[in-house]
Amino acid sequence: MDSYIVLIISCIFINNILLMQYLGNCPFLGVSKRMDTAFGMSMAVVFVIVMAGAVTWVVNYYILKPYDLEYLRTLSFILVIASLVQLVEMFLKKNIPALYAGLGIYLPLITTNCAVLGVCLINMKEEYDFLHTLVSSLSYSVGYGLALILFAAIRERILLARVPKPLQDTSIGLVTAGMFSLAFFGFKGMIH
Amino acid sequence: MIEGLLVMGGLGAILGLGLAIASKVFYVYVDPRIEAVEELLPGANCGGCGYPGCSANAEAIVKGESSPSSCVAASQEVIQQIAEIVGAKLELKEPEVAKPNCKYGVYEADRKYIYDGVRDCRAAILINGGEKECPIGCLGLGTCVKACPFGALSIGPDRLPVVNTEKCTGCGTCERVCPKGIIKLSSNSLAIVHEYTTDECTAPCQRACPAGIDIPAYIRAIREGDYAEALIIIKRSNPFPAVCGRICVHPCEYACRRNLIDEPVAINPLKRFVTDWEREKGMHVQVPRAPEREERIAVIGGGVEGLSAAYLLNRLGYNTKVHEATSKLGGLLWIGLPENRLPREVIEWDIKGILEAGVQVELNKMLGKDISVGSLFKEGYNAVLIATGGWDMKLYLSELVPDGFNPLPGVYLLIDLVRRKEIPIGSNCLIIGGGRSSLEAAKICKERGAKNVYILFRSSKQDSPIREEDLEKGVSVLFQTALTKMMGRDDKLEQVEVCEITEEGKEKEGSRRNIEIDTVIVGAGRFPELIYVRKDENSWETISPYAGPNVEQEVGIFRPGEAISDYKAAVEAIGSGRRMAASLYNYFRGLPVEPPSNMIRKDTEVLDVREVVNVRPVPRVKMAERSKDELINNPSLEISLGYTESEAREEAKRCLQCGLICYRKEKLN
Repeated sequence: MDSYIVLIISCIFINNILLMQYLGNCPFLGVSKRMDTAFGMSMAVVFVIVMAGAVTWVVNYYILKPYDLEYLRTLSFILVIASLVQLVEMFLKKNIPALYAGLGIYLPLITTNCAVLGVCLINMKEEYDFLHTLVSSLSYSVGYGLALILFAAIRERILLARVPKPLQDTSIGLVTAGMFSLAFFGFKGMIH
Repeated sequence: MIEGLLVMGGLGAILGLGLAIASKVFYVYVDPRIEAVEELLPGANCGGCGYPGCSANAEAIVKGESSPSSCVAASQEVIQQIAEIVGAKLELKEPEVAKPNCKYGVYEADRKYIYDGVRDCRAAILINGGEKECPIGCLGLGTCVKACPFGALSIGPDRLPVVNTEKCTGCGTCERVCPKGIIKLSSNSLAIVHEYTTDECTAPCQRACPAGIDIPAYIRAIREGDYAEALIIIKRSNPFPAVCGRICVHPCEYACRRNLIDEPVAINPLKRFVTDWEREKGMHVQVPRAPEREERIAVIGGGVEGLSAAYLLNRLGYNTKVHEATSKLGGLLWIGLPENRLPREVIEWDIKGILEAGVQVELNKMLGKDISVGSLFKEGYNAVLIATGGWDMKLYLSELVPDGFNPLPGVYLLIDLVRRKEIPIGSNCLIIGGGRSSLEAAKICKERGAKNVYILFRSSKQDSPIREEDLEKGVSVLFQTALTKMMGRDDKLEQVEVCEITEEGKEKEGSRRNIEIDTVIVGAGRFPELIYVRKDENSWETISPYAGPNVEQEVGIFRPGEAISDYKAAVEAIGSGRRMAASLYNYFRGLPVEPPSNMIRKDTEVLDVREVVNVRPVPRVKMAERSKDELINNPSLEISLGYTESEAREEAKRCLQCGLICYRKEKLN
C-alpha cells in the first residue's frame, strides 16, 4: 500500500510531468489562457494518459518483449497512442456525445503530445506491473492537470496587470512558468 | 530484423484496419451543409448571433432555427452564399455599429478620486462605482477594446473608446462586456425609435425637446461643417426641420445650460440654418432607409403628425400611404401661422422632402366617408394609424363632415351625442369620462334602445362626480378603470378590454377583462392617436401608442389629456407622430408597446449642475431681419433672414456640448 502512496505523491508533485520533467509544454502555454479551456484539456489528458498507459503496457509485455523488440518501443507506442486516441474520439462521438462535446476538441490536440508518450515510456523504464502502471499514469496526468489549472489561474490574473509591451503574452507566460517550476523544486527531498 | 519489420508492419496494418472498421461502426451522420456553413462563417465566435459560437450557429442555420443573416460579422456576399447552401430566403439586416455614449474622458470630467488599480473597468467599478463623479461615465480602461473580436475599438487620447466603423460588425460584444452600459449598438432605426433613459448621457436641451432631437450632436455637426449629417440627426426625430426652425416654441432653449451665464444657444435658428443650406442646394437630405419590410401601413391624416409618422415608418423600412381628407397636405400649418413667420414655400419644401422619401399619398379621402378601417384592411394594409388631429382640425373640416359621421368603428364623441346628432346606438354602450354629462349620455343611450350601459371612470368613487341615486337601471359605473383595447371585425366594434388602475395610476396586475361592447362614447373634444392592427382576415384590435415623457396617466386609450400629442405646438405633434411610429415598430417586432421603464419623465430626477464655471460669456449671434421699408411694401415677406454660414458656425461654437454634469470648460487663466 505504502508503495502506491509514495508513487502517487512523487508523480503528482515531486516528478510533476510538466514542471519537473518539462514534457507537454506546448499545450501548457497554448491552452492556459482561460480557465475553462484549461479544465477541459486537463480532463482530456487524464483520460488519454490512463488509457494509453494501460494499452502500451499490454503492447510492451505481450508483443515487444516476447520477440526482444524493445528497441522499437518509442515507434510502436506513437503508433498505438495515435490510433487509440482516434478510436476513442470516434467512439465518444457516436455513443457519448455529451462527453465528446466536452472533450472533443482537445482530444486530437494530445494525439501526439509528448507528455502522453513520456508517461508511457517512464512506466516501462521503471518496470512497473500493470496496477502500478495505472496508478502512475493517473497520478502523472492529475499532476499535469493540477499544474495547468494553477497556471491558467495565474495567467487570468496577469491579463489584468500592466505588463510591459515586449514581455506581453507568451513571454510573460514563459517567465511565469519558469518561476512556477522553481517553486515545485521545493517538493524535492520530500520523500527519501 | 525480420521480426521487427513484421511486428511493426503487422501492428500498423491491424491498427489501420481497426480504425477503418471503427469509422464505419461509429459513423455519425453529419449534415454536410453544417460544415459548409461553418466554413463560411468568420469563426470569431463573438456570440453576436445569440449562439455560443460559429459552429452552434451553423447548426442552427441549417436546421432553420437561425437566419442566414444572423451573423453580424459576415459580409453580404458570405450571407448570400450561406443562404444558397441552405436554400433559405434572405432577409436583409440593417447594419448596426457600436456607439459609445460618454462625451468627456476621465481627465476632463469631475472625479471623486484618482484610480490606479487593475486596468479593467470591471475592477475599477468595484470601488464606489469608478473614479468619475458621474455615475454613468466611461472609465476608459479599455475592457471593451480587449473584448472586441474584430479589433474595431481603441481608446483615444481623451481616454474614451473610439469605434472604427469600417471594422465594427455590430456583434454587441462590447455592449455585453461594458459594466456601465455606456457602449451600445446603434442604427438609424434604433435612433428613430429611441427614448432618453436615465442610464445614458443626455443634455438638458435634448431632454426638453418634445420631438427628442439629439441637439448637441447636430450642433457639433454644424460646428464641424457637416451640415448633411446635422440634417440626418434632426430628421431622425423631426421630418419638418425647415418649418420647425421657424415656428418652434423651442423648450430646448429655455433648458439650455448657457442660461446660467449669458443667453441660450440659438438652437432653433441653427436648425433653420441647415435647412436653408439644404434648400439652397436644392436637394433633400434623407435619413438612410432600413431594408424593406413586408408590412403596409395606412396613415390617416396628412397633417404634421400623420406625415411625421409616415416618414419615419418609411425610413424604418415599411411601406406607408397617407390618406388625407382635404386636397392639401400639411393640415393646420397652412391656417394657423402668418406668412411672414412661415413662408408657404417652406411648408412645401418639407412636405416635398417627405414625399420624395417614398411616402405615398391619397388626397380627398376621408375616413368614415370615403374609406373606413375595415376597407383599408381589405385593401391589404397591416395597420391603420389614426392621426386625425385636434378639435381645431375638426372644426376646420366641419363643412366636409356629414351628420352622424364617425371615422372610427363604433367610437363617437359625447358632444355629438348630446347635441342629438344621428348616432346609431348599439345594445351595449360604454361611456368614457365626461364628468356628469356622462349621465345624460347614458340616458340618451337608454332612450335609443341600449340594453347595457357602462360608464368608465379613472377616478375612485369618492372623487367622481356621480352619486348612487343618479343612476338609472341598466347603467353600471366602473370606477378606477381604463379602456385598454378595442377589438372588432370589419367596421364593427365587438369587444373592449378594460383594466383596473391603482391609486398611483399604474395598471393593477391581472385585472384585465373583456366586455362585449358595440358603441363607445368618448367624453373628449377629439379622437386620440390610435393604431388599428389586423389580426386575421377581417378582425382587428387596437394598440395604444405609448405616451411621451410629459403624460401623467399612461394606462389605456382615451386617457386624460386625451391624446399623446398636445394642442400646444407642431413639435408636440411631430413627437407623438414619432412615438406612433416607434410603437408600431415595437409591435411588429413582437416587443411590448411601451417606453423603456427608465425613460426620463417630467418628474424624473436627473443629475444636473446648478452653476457653470470656466466658461467665458459670449453674446448670442443676432439674426438679420428684413428692413422695415421692405416689410411695409410687402407684409407677407419673411421677417427674419436666417444665419449666414459663418454666423452659424460662430453660434454653434457657443454650445457647451453638455452631458449630464459635464460641459465644455475653457482654460480661462
